[in-house]
Amino acid sequence: MKMRNLLVGLACVLGTQAPLLAAPASPTPDLFALRVGRAETVSQGTIEHAVILIENGKIITIGQDLEIERGIRVIDRPDWVVTPGFVNCYSRAGMSSSGGSGTQPGVQASTELYPRQPIYGELLEAGVTTLGLYPPGNQIPGQAVVVSTAGDSRESMLVREGAYLKILMESNSKAKKTLRDGFEEADKHLEKVTEAREKHEKAKEKYDDELKKWKKYDDEEKAKKKEPVDPGDFVEPDPSDEAAAFLDLREGELSAMFSIRKAGDYLHLIDALGEEQISWSMRVPLRNDIDLYEVAEKLGADERQVVVEPRLTLMPWTARERNIPAELDRAGARVVFIPNGDDLGNQEKWRQHVGHLVKRGMDPQAALAAMTHEPAVLLGVDETVGSLGAGKEATMLFFDGDPFQASTNLKAVMHAGDFVEEASAQ
Amino acid sequence: MKTMKKQLIGGALGLSLALSFAAPSLALLADDHEEDSYLAIVGGDIFAGTGEVLRGATLLSKNGKIEEIGYELILPDGCETVDAHGMRVYPGLVALSATTRLTQGTFAAGVEIHDFVPHEEHSEICGDCGKSFEEIVPPALDPGEFSTEHLATDAFRTDFDDSFDPFSGYMVMALGNGITTVQQSSAAVKLKRGDISGVSLSEKTLTSQSWSGSNPAGKADLREKFRLATEYLADYRRWEEAVKSDKELKEPSKKGIDGRILDILEGRTMARFSANERADLLGIARLAQQFKFRPVIQGCVEGWTVAEELGRAGAFAIVTPRTRRDRSETTTHEGGSSIENAAILTRAGVQVAVVPANTSIDMGGISGRDLLSLPLEAGFAIRGGMDERAALESITVVPARLLGIDHRVGTLEIGKDCDALITDGDLLHYQTFVQYTVVEGKLVYDKQEEVFYSHIRPRPEAAVDPGEEVSGEVESVEVEEIVEEESDEE
Repeated sequence: MKMRNLLVGLACVLGTQAPLLAAPASPTPDLFALRVGRAETVSQGTIEHAVILIENGKIITIGQDLEIERGIRVIDRPDWVVTPGFVNCYSRAGMSSSGGSGTQPGVQASTELYPRQPIYGELLEAGVTTLGLYPPGNQIPGQAVVVSTAGDSRESMLVREGAYLKILMESNSKAKKTLRDGFEEADKHLEKVTEAREKHEKAKEKYDDELKKWKKYDDEEKAKKKEPVDPGDFVEPDPSDEAAAFLDLREGELSAMFSIRKAGDYLHLIDALGEEQISWSMRVPLRNDIDLYEVAEKLGADERQVVVEPRLTLMPWTARERNIPAELDRAGARVVFIPNGDDLGNQEKWRQHVGHLVKRGMDPQAALAAMTHEPAVLLGVDETVGSLGAGKEATMLFFDGDPFQASTNLKAVMHAGDFVEEASAQ
Repeated sequence: MKTMKKQLIGGALGLSLALSFAAPSLALLADDHEEDSYLAIVGGDIFAGTGEVLRGATLLSKNGKIEEIGYELILPDGCETVDAHGMRVYPGLVALSATTRLTQGTFAAGVEIHDFVPHEEHSEICGDCGKSFEEIVPPALDPGEFSTEHLATDAFRTDFDDSFDPFSGYMVMALGNGITTVQQSSAAVKLKRGDISGVSLSEKTLTSQSWSGSNPAGKADLREKFRLATEYLADYRRWEEAVKSDKELKEPSKKGIDGRILDILEGRTMARFSANERADLLGIARLAQQFKFRPVIQGCVEGWTVAEELGRAGAFAIVTPRTRRDRSETTTHEGGSSIENAAILTRAGVQVAVVPANTSIDMGGISGRDLLSLPLEAGFAIRGGMDERAALESITVVPARLLGIDHRVGTLEIGKDCDALITDGDLLHYQTFVQYTVVEGKLVYDKQEEVFYSHIRPRPEAAVDPGEEVSGEVESVEVEEIVEEESDEE
């Protein structure tokens, strides 16, 4: 304890004169405070003149004009606007772009993960601090994983496996059957378990009976006959990969992301799901004449998460523009943004593209949430990232103005309490 | 004066409110079925498609079926209404051999989509890739893909149920031109907008057979197939009788019998021939009379020269009145196309269905020759002397009969599906617009609300109906304000 106080004291002596960081990650003290012009917390709205206290990479507290205890080092940036790190929940960054066709719901995208690729560092510098990497392919190619772009090894990158099960859903009998087959596989496994349990119980009864008899025998008889064998405790048979994934879906341990192409697919998806109660989100590529607005009300009523690009589309058959993400948001659906493309250029311009939709009428808070909190919820990592609040990881971005203004610059990126990039932090 | 007016309006309001409470509520009287849905088309001239016309009548639909047609109907509570005063009401049109684009959307399913690189996703499936629509839209489903396993279930299903796009822009265009039921490959599909349940009505209703003067061996072959199948049926009937007394008797063998011909002879399906020449038409008529089935003849261009024979054979004809074809110089008979074809065939007792020259849809289709000009094409049959009733039937109930769905669509009759058009004039006149389309009791097209035709001759704002209820405080305040303004002007 004394040691730490001493260190903090030392840091104070060095003051803010000290160079903030050294590439790639510059260490900050264990305990320090950030004073910024504005904090967009996403979960608790906007805090003007925010003070954020950070210890060991986690946010201890955040609030307006909090008093900072004497001795705690303060990084003072009154012009900065801070937001949570961006979360791109649907990416193939650093992975090959080819995939097959088939049903392998047990496959994890992490099998393809190669850490220490320049793209991850570049994404981190661009403000994308968390990635959801999905497996490629048609039908049911497997499960997405969550990685932190700050890590330099497999272990330090991998945050979570089994983030969502990716399923391609189209308007045809085959795709609908693939989905129904998955649930049938789960049903079959449950039947198998029931049968195995019954069989085991019978074996146990038989053993108990025989054991009673055995105990009554005298030594001579015991020598003649075999001692009954205890069948042991019941062990459930292992489910197949497919059954396991669909059982997880039913039990809520795994969510599904359905890729669809048009509004009609959504109705077919609902039809194919039938009575199944699972947690799921929807991915819809916003092509120019997408008709997603046809089901916006239904998506809103369900508060469905819809993964889309920040892109204006056209009313089909016309040249009239539509802001479908804004329409979805107004209808009550939860918009999740992904960059317009998976390349670095599009990820760097992601915030500007979203800003364009904000200028065209989308609620800025919803737009920011769609880049941070919503994708974090989708990936199941919203406990740690995607918003700024006590207990959250201190992973955040610093801008010199409104993040949705094209003229605004990203000044610094912080990952778990450490500044990432040197040049921009100056 | 001012207060007087207010009082009058207040009184009128009170009266109308009281009336609305006093109005008998059908929903209460009827059984408490969970949420019956009603729609009424009020005050239009109803052309039922059966020959009857009811001027200024009302058509009431309950849960998608026609419940009542008549005058002074008591509308149930919560009944949606479409005001058709001054307009005409027709049965929804049935389009034969329509493009599958109608039900499968612009970018139909079935195209292999690889979606792992998000920014490439779009180009792979959209028009940006430089492919024409025809390349992207898959061909009609292979009839071989259909299975009949599901026929045992209570609802009829085909693969079209799983690929139906209820938001297809082409479908909206078709609805805007009055088409509510279409033949898709071998199935009949209802154009239900925003709904994917129960869209298939039938399948495999027409089987194609070939009869052509250029293929004499094929003709002999077909005749032989019919002969064998007829013999088999005769044998089978004899056996059916005989087996009652002698249970050991063996059932006659089906070996060598064409199952499709049996289907035709037993009425499970109809034989469709593509034929235009007089000699072929006569051959088909004779074949049909010999083996006692009713042929469907697609094309039938020279039908007018042998109409009597076709009529006696009970033939159906699928014609395009605007087809042009020169008389063959190799024969001395009358021949070639005639604008009077449809009229002459009808008069001879042939049931005529009309199809446009092209059953696809493209943007040049407005008053063109594609599927959307179906009513126009029937109008040309009238130009050739066909009576109006037969012309309407040629695009409604006759094609419905060919598809085996005339028990559900094709006319406006009690118990049938409520598929209706509300037009601003004679349906078969080229200047007429479909103003509203109703499919299974649901308003699915309103000309004013869609991008396609709303800008052409917009509907005049409907005058406020004096009988309309004004309820709620806000509205009554507005009325008072208007009165005040008026009196200020005075």
